[in-house]
Amino acid sequence: MSTHQIQLTINGRPQHATVEGRLTLSDFLRGDAGCTGVHVGCEHGVCGACTVMVDGNAVRSCLMLAVQADGCTVTTVEGLAAEDGTLHPVQQALRDEHGLQCGFCTPGIVMTLASLTAADNKAAPDKVMNALSGHICRCTGYQGIRRAARKLAGGAA
Amino acid sequence: MNAPEMLDTKTQTQAHAQATGYIGKRMARTEDARLLTGRGVYVDDVGLPGALQVAFHRSPIARGRIKSIDLSAARQLPGVYAVLTADDLARFKVDMLSFFLAAPVVPVPVLATDCVRHVGDPVAMVVAQDRYIAEDAAGLIVVDYDEEDPVVTLADAKTGPLVHPDADSNVAAATGNEDPDEDLEAQLANAPHLVTVEFEHQRISQSPMETRGVVSAPQGSGELTIYLSCQGPQLNARWFAQAFGMPQTAIRVISKDVGGSFGLKGQPWREEVAVVLASMLLKRPLKWIEDRLENLTSANQAREQEIKLRVAFDADGKLVASHADYGLNNGAYPQGADSNIAVMMFLWGAHKLPVFDFHARGWFTNTVGLAAYRGPWALESLAREVLLDRAARQIGLDPIEIRRRNLIRREDQPCTTPMGLELTDISPAECLDVLLEKIDVAAFRAEQAEARKQGRYLGLGFATYIEPTAGSTGIGVLMSESAHIRIEPTGKVSAVVSTHSQGHGTQTTMGQVIAERLGVRFEDVAVYEDDSSRGGYGSGAYGSRQAVAGGGACIRAADLLVDKIKRMAAYLLKVEPDAIVLGDSMIRALGDKEQVVSFRDLADIAYGEPERLPEGMDAGLEIQYRYRPPPITMTSAAHACIVEVDADTGFVKIKRWVTSEDCGNMINPAVVEGQIAGGLAQAIGEVLMEEVSFDARGNPTAVTYKDYMLPTIFDVPEFEYHHEASRPSIAEGGFRGVGEGGCIIGPPTLVNAIADALAPFGELKLEFPLTPSRLLAHIEGRREIAERAAPAESAPLPVPESARAASESASTVENLPAPSAPQEPVAASTAVQVDGEWKFVLSTPMGPQAFTGRMSTDGDQLTGVFIMNMDEAHFTGTVSGNQLKWDLKVTKPMKITLKYEAQIDGDKLTGKCKMGIFGSAKLVGERVST
Amino acid sequence: MKPAPFDYYAPATIEEACQLLSDAGGGATLVAGGQTLMPLLALRMSQPFVLVDLNGIKALKGISRQAGRTRIGPITRQNEAIADATLNAAQPLIVTAVKHVGHHQTRNRGTIGGSIALGEPAAELPATAVALGASVEVRSTRGTRQIKADELYFGPYATALEPDEMITAIDVPEWPSGTVSVFREIAQRPGDFALVGLTGAVTIDNGRITRAGIAWFGMGPTPIKARQAESALIGQEIAALDAKAIAELAIADTAPFDDLHATAEYRRTVGRRVFTRALSEALDLRAAA
Repeated sequence: MSTHQIQLTINGRPQHATVEGRLTLSDFLRGDAGCTGVHVGCEHGVCGACTVMVDGNAVRSCLMLAVQADGCTVTTVEGLAAEDGTLHPVQQALRDEHGLQCGFCTPGIVMTLASLTAADNKAAPDKVMNALSGHICRCTGYQGIRRAARKLAGGAA
Repeated sequence: MNAPEMLDTKTQTQAHAQATGYIGKRMARTEDARLLTGRGVYVDDVGLPGALQVAFHRSPIARGRIKSIDLSAARQLPGVYAVLTADDLARFKVDMLSFFLAAPVVPVPVLATDCVRHVGDPVAMVVAQDRYIAEDAAGLIVVDYDEEDPVVTLADAKTGPLVHPDADSNVAAATGNEDPDEDLEAQLANAPHLVTVEFEHQRISQSPMETRGVVSAPQGSGELTIYLSCQGPQLNARWFAQAFGMPQTAIRVISKDVGGSFGLKGQPWREEVAVVLASMLLKRPLKWIEDRLENLTSANQAREQEIKLRVAFDADGKLVASHADYGLNNGAYPQGADSNIAVMMFLWGAHKLPVFDFHARGWFTNTVGLAAYRGPWALESLAREVLLDRAARQIGLDPIEIRRRNLIRREDQPCTTPMGLELTDISPAECLDVLLEKIDVAAFRAEQAEARKQGRYLGLGFATYIEPTAGSTGIGVLMSESAHIRIEPTGKVSAVVSTHSQGHGTQTTMGQVIAERLGVRFEDVAVYEDDSSRGGYGSGAYGSRQAVAGGGACIRAADLLVDKIKRMAAYLLKVEPDAIVLGDSMIRALGDKEQVVSFRDLADIAYGEPERLPEGMDAGLEIQYRYRPPPITMTSAAHACIVEVDADTGFVKIKRWVTSEDCGNMINPAVVEGQIAGGLAQAIGEVLMEEVSFDARGNPTAVTYKDYMLPTIFDVPEFEYHHEASRPSIAEGGFRGVGEGGCIIGPPTLVNAIADALAPFGELKLEFPLTPSRLLAHIEGRREIAERAAPAESAPLPVPESARAASESASTVENLPAPSAPQEPVAASTAVQVDGEWKFVLSTPMGPQAFTGRMSTDGDQLTGVFIMNMDEAHFTGTVSGNQLKWDLKVTKPMKITLKYEAQIDGDKLTGKCKMGIFGSAKLVGERVST
Repeated sequence: MKPAPFDYYAPATIEEACQLLSDAGGGATLVAGGQTLMPLLALRMSQPFVLVDLNGIKALKGISRQAGRTRIGPITRQNEAIADATLNAAQPLIVTAVKHVGHHQTRNRGTIGGSIALGEPAAELPATAVALGASVEVRSTRGTRQIKADELYFGPYATALEPDEMITAIDVPEWPSGTVSVFREIAQRPGDFALVGLTGAVTIDNGRITRAGIAWFGMGPTPIKARQAESALIGQEIAALDAKAIAELAIADTAPFDDLHATAEYRRTVGRRVFTRALSEALDLRAAA
């Protein structure tokens, strides 16, 4: 079983680690990096709770190995709010619209929305809605998530 | 069963405090700040020094004997700390319990002992330095089985071998009457219209997004700290304490954030118990986080049921009589053997039905055991509402009209249902009135007719229901809820409440209630509900109780505290208590010259200078109150939905969904609507896509989220909410519960809409889930019939119910319980020893009840007493040979005469207890002394 | 659900990767995007001794056109492909198909070559490669060969690739102007594998069909080329075309089965309708243009 030295940036700070080849990125982020906001809901890429941004793109962290993130910039839900606690616009919209209940799927949804609604890289409204089909929420019936996404992306999808 | 006794019920609470308007307001949730930023603490987020990880080795077969277990390779793997089997845990005495804290009807092993009873049955556990190694080692365990043919389905259970060889039968629980009531049968046979629905409902996985999980940290003192993903730390601490025979105070259950539960995590079960025991054995903190494969194959599941509901209507479509025959798959190890009496209680809980009878059984099978799922009795609404629509089509009535003719309205109450449910304030008919103001049914029917001409199939479905919320009748663990509110010496307000959120947002809603009643700013109240060591007992989230029971506790506690504050402030400020007003986190004395003091000012005196308090007033500023809500609080609703079914592909598109409910006074409408929406999404999944399925060998066939399909954002429409039908309940605050309703009323609303859309193709075959494949088979099958029968297309083809019923009479030889009624009476002349001390177990719908008793005879006269919970119940009866008969009148949980028949065989007694509408319960006894 | 142990390698060149595969003697698995492989590893349904990660091999990336063919580097990410101007101009059907693969989040990682190499019978890209007459360039230490897409698939996840071989390019012929694309996918939820899928292209010249490539997905153990329907279409006057009859021929080549989500009968019934409608719409659209 191979082990590997990796170096990456997580939420703006450098992280060095030695990892086994088989360690998933989600387990690495939760364990070594302490980003327990990365939630592992299914470990087979369907539920979307573990979604993080790797080099700005939303990806399933359970479907990547930690070693594959070597040299990458990773952003997790912990990395979005301002230092003073001001919520990121995506977080604020979800809060205003009651877009969460148990909160377990929420970090993944936040990351997908954040990756697609950034001011400098805003996706079309239908693309944002389509991307949300990659997240399972068992609590809310998606009502507040949909409202928040509309508010953030515009459009009537 | 549940006359709302007028205990403690203030219909209107006095405005002690100046209303700050928090109750009823759509406030942003306190929980969200941490959950949105990844700062929540779910059980897997807890890390302890030296903690080891657990993985289970599970049975790959549904039924068989364990011949040997080889752990050697697993134990040798580097990084493995221990590999344990049932033998290693045998040193601990554990009494597994149901949610109601009753003993199971069959032994439930923590780990499998000599045999396995379902695929996924835990056989061994690996404790290793990380989960990866633990899974490696679990894969190295070799178990040799003697495989047997499993009992998988309800049909298998009736004819197959015993799942639990020591049980009399595969009947896990039974209620109702085995023998048909001839009068009722005659009414059904002779009524102008007999309508029947008969169907099976698929098994459902609760599927909270966070799976089960536990971190158990034993301490040298013998105390345990258990971090648990659960529905309430208090009840779970009590469960562990009772199961382990430990003081509850020695067990601290912490459950900070929980990622959904929906009934799955109401109580600990085998894996959680195994982990706690192993941590005690190994004296190390252990963590087990269920993975999704385990969750979909080994966590207890719900809803696999069958029902045959027959209903007689008169010529006007009014209900005459009804009978239900019901079966529930309990799996191998249910969390409480169950025949689901609530299905029968609420089937006709809101309708003018004169006569009802039923027979309900729960069955053991070689599948994962039964647990609760949101609205566990929901099948009643599905069966009833689907049947009412069928009846409407058969009788030629509008589906709305048939409901109006039979629903109990507010002005019809109080009244009592055939099941003894006393109704005082249900309002499904009034909810339906509001609903119909929101939907232009006539316009829809015109649109529907026009669409059908174009080959487009639109459908409109209705359903109404009532939901028992905060029900506690006869259920000890649900009787009360506690709130402890404290103005701390610092002046801060903190509350410890026995509610618990797995998404419910009770930290917010309880905070709203307390802030309003106390007259403090919402942000100044800190609510804690996550730690069993902090407050008093309460069941947490169960049975849609938290707004009613928890909210009531918060109101009462806050009001008592306000009273003390007013008396204290009035005394100190030298005004009358009535002149004291609380608001905006300040205390004001009204008068010529307004005086203002802060909570801090009062707290300084209450804690630091108690000598300044009025004569007789205790020091401090804190109140603990235990609220006993009414025995049951009813929520009502009516829903409608409009669908379009694509007749070419069988796909269902939900175009509109309108809800109208009466959940009383709302604490936070956004939270209420969130509960409705979440339940409806689950209903949509249940009707259209979710299914836990097994092959003939009992292997689960939907083991990932690719195959166990949950609704996505594209499957759930926007819901419209209407609260106009709401009236305050008699509970404190006027609240009604709303947790389960969407999951109960959703399925029939959607099924009725689909059935309406596809009415041109004949009565919809009820095969759940209604996948595109099944719907298209229905459409195509009917098309072929239509083409053969008549050239006219899309003409309705109603199927005569009599033909349907006739085809369903295939009889099966059922593996029924051995009759407990006497077979061969012993001749009266033979001396039978009746007199003496006995211990008894009665198998009630709530689980087995154990008690002791004394019986004595005088000729053929029997006298006796049962002793249960320091309460005595005396009875008299008759003796004939070894045959005993006696009646016992009880008043709790309701007034009922229990009719016992038993026979004595040496020191053993067997018999049954007829419990009126609840059917029969098995009684066994054993002589203690003569 | 944690992967079993393996040795992980991230070669920088195709040669290194081929050598690793050769050295592993069949015990190695390639990972590209990993969006299907990672679940198989987590479920321990796949337990390789060696995992060879292709993501660091620059030669496997990129899209280029030459001599009437489009060459797609196998580790081109699916979302990169959707955004790629060259691919949009040269292979609109592939772009349409890729948009239906998985979800936005998996397309950020998943690759074109990974999907084609895996051979999931209900997946969009293998069938599209078959329909368009694509081939894959395959390398090993033993040499290079081309495999036609319609000879690549033997059964679910079973391909003609030897254990020591890897796909180094996907080579897709560019269809002439006058070509219309046909793509239909019936799936229960967005991102699910197809219950019924149809993908293909038809070239029309002066009201007559000159070329047709059509394949099914989710309709049998592999992507299925609708050979009889293609033959019947080629040379046909559009005006004289009986879409229903062609659909019958197309269905005749399928071999669907019952599974948890739909019966074989469902797939055939819906397939017939989808085919008829898709073909009619594609041709009407062309006629109107």
